[in-house]
Amino acid sequence: MSTIALKGEHWDGHTHGDGINHRHHKIRHKHGEGSSIDFYAYASNIRDWNPAFKVSLSMLTLVLSIVLNNPYVSLAVIVAMGYLTIIEGGLSIQAYLSILMIPISFILLGTITIGIDFSTQPIGQYNLHLGFFYVFTSLAKLKIMFFLMLKVFAAISAMEMMSLSTPSSEIISVMQRVHVPKLFTELMNLIYRYIFILIDVNIKMRNSANSRLGFCDIKTSWYTFGKIASNLLIVSFKKANAYYDAMEARCYDGDLIFLEEDKKVTTLQIAKAAVFVSFLMLLWGFTR
Amino acid sequence: MGEPILKIRDLHYAYGNGTPALNRIDADIYEGEKIAVIGSNGAGKSTFFLNANGVLTPDRGEISYRGTIINKKNLKELRKNIGIVFQDADNQIIASTVMAEVGFGPMNLKLPKEEVLRRVEEALTYMNILDYKDRPPHYLSGGEKKRVSIADIIAMKSEIIIFDEPTAGLDPLNTQMLEEVLDKLGSEGKTMLISTHDVDFVYRWAERAIVFSQGKIIADGTPLKIFQSEEILKKANLKRPTLMEVYDLLVEKHLLEDTKAYPTSTQAFKEMLGNM
Repeated sequence: MSTIALKGEHWDGHTHGDGINHRHHKIRHKHGEGSSIDFYAYASNIRDWNPAFKVSLSMLTLVLSIVLNNPYVSLAVIVAMGYLTIIEGGLSIQAYLSILMIPISFILLGTITIGIDFSTQPIGQYNLHLGFFYVFTSLAKLKIMFFLMLKVFAAISAMEMMSLSTPSSEIISVMQRVHVPKLFTELMNLIYRYIFILIDVNIKMRNSANSRLGFCDIKTSWYTFGKIASNLLIVSFKKANAYYDAMEARCYDGDLIFLEEDKKVTTLQIAKAAVFVSFLMLLWGFTR
Repeated sequence: MGEPILKIRDLHYAYGNGTPALNRIDADIYEGEKIAVIGSNGAGKSTFFLNANGVLTPDRGEISYRGTIINKKNLKELRKNIGIVFQDADNQIIASTVMAEVGFGPMNLKLPKEEVLRRVEEALTYMNILDYKDRPPHYLSGGEKKRVSIADIIAMKSEIIIFDEPTAGLDPLNTQMLEEVLDKLGSEGKTMLISTHDVDFVYRWAERAIVFSQGKIIADGTPLKIFQSEEILKKANLKRPTLMEVYDLLVEKHLLEDTKAYPTSTQAFKEMLGNM
């Protein structure tokens, strides 16, 4: 079901003036295939940066914004990562914000419970009478809640910087280099490629079911959904077989090795990253 | 003609359910031949290809490549030298960028990285898709995916290239592109086997046709000879190429002299009519 929601989302994204599509004619985005984050990663202007550099910068920033636990650091991280993604990467602001907003409901639900509390007595700095009980909060608590939100957003924007500029295959190759077990990385590679094929098959089956009134009422819809799910399983087995034949035909002998392009990391990039990290440290030092 | 590159003798293969898919197949493939493999669905063409490449192991019979009989140990040699372009490009494309995909075969051959890069570049230029190098396959169109799947095999530099129904699902423009690629490969002396249902294509392109029916080879010869035999056409459920039909009709109506010199292309036909 989630694939459908995803599809609808970027359908909207594209009809309502999506900047990226106009600027990057090199990659045509076909509707109904995959997620928009994946698409943006391929279209990013900083895609040719060394993936290991991007992954480590994003991880380091993520760790710093959590460990340092400082609202100024969080703000600096949000601004810097936004700069990298939007100005350097060339992603439109609307697209960036809409992706950042995906986890907003989780964040709000999570942080509100920290900011407010319930009581039967009218206590706290501010309180609101709601029939049988009071909702109360204080300035200090609101502050904690706000800072926590900043921290979460900083962490998310650091991760988004990575995922909006580095295609999954490159992230996987970085994992391979830091010796994540081969079983996982090979599976990730295959699953990544496979997801798009299965989404495609799923859309085709749904369309053909829909054209035969397979979704005319709720009961039929559930029935059709089940049929499609089981059919998808059978199709995936068949595809796996065909895939294996094709791999063997090209001399596959148990090790999945892909050709990677060497992307050099420049000294300037490392220097800039070092300055940024030290700036975060100093900021933390001064505002502690 | 010399020694055949690929010699197949008494090949048997049955799938798990026991019904034989290939039954006593004998075939010799010589260097530089352009062979069409025809026959109805389920006649055993694809199974034959997978056996010839060593993906499937025959139940009986032997395959020799350049005089060496293929066994478990030198199987890789066979796979390296016989490439298959699969019917559905989505069943073949495995990597997440075009470059990694085309490099997959050469990487498996354990070539040095510079050599792999050179071959990938070469194959992509050959198929005119060098610009797609960094693109992921899931954002390519059907025709583009087909080109990638052909570049896959070109990068492996295999001696024999097998195309399994290459025109299936392609639009006329992409079909034309494919034929141009086939001509280009042919002019370089590549040995090619193509399975297809397009008899007109067989008639105009192939030098030799192998007809499969129910797991057996029922005919092996020039397309002209095969399409002239009513018996073979009936057995394999084949139609005659349009050009041959037209020629025969003209002969029948005494508009053309019956010299049995069937034209193989519309161009040749035009010239023939012009000479009258």
